[in-house]
Amino acid sequence: MIASALVALSFVVLSLAATLFLVRLLMGPSVPDRVVAADGLLITVSCGVLVAAADRAVSVAIDTVVVVALLGFIATGVVARYVEQRGG
Amino acid sequence: MIVGASGWLDVLGGVGLLAGSLLILIAAVGVVRFDDVYSRIHAAAKAPTLAVLLVGGGAGLTIRTTQAVVAALLVVVLQMIAGPVGGHLLGRSVYRRLRPELDGPDELAAED
Repeated sequence: MIASALVALSFVVLSLAATLFLVRLLMGPSVPDRVVAADGLLITVSCGVLVAAADRAVSVAIDTVVVVALLGFIATGVVARYVEQRGG
Repeated sequence: MIVGASGWLDVLGGVGLLAGSLLILIAAVGVVRFDDVYSRIHAAAKAPTLAVLLVGGGAGLTIRTTQAVVAALLVVVLQMIAGPVGGHLLGRSVYRRLRPELDGPDELAAED
């Protein structure tokens, strides 16, 4: 009962956070700003998957988050190299 | 109201999930409102690391199977490695290439 209310509330909070990250993703003047926003959006979505997995007791969904976390790190590294070589 | 041990673990996990989500929201507010690139990288690198720790711990406490706990632990460890290293990589390439205006002395000026 209490736990499901907490889950619903965290979904609301995560949606607000995703909206704010999206605002920075669309505004962000330079490439690193957009990368930071996209990375934050990715983390928001992974946390949403974790919350949904905890709500429905689906432990397989957490394996997805492992893969997404690795991919996000690789993407950040690649874009950092791009910014360093070509400018943003 | 009688709450058993597993009920308390559920509530503790739920509180972890909510606290982690609130930290993500704080990071998002920082990313939108801060003025320069470095501050935004700072906001997006630190708070989400603790947030993923809290949310992963909350998911592990709520589900309580070996598979879930191990996967959640892996997520937390990966994020604690990837978050700071990614932020540092991005900040370094911004410093070397984009050279945004600083609001203080350039303490890395002798480096390159």
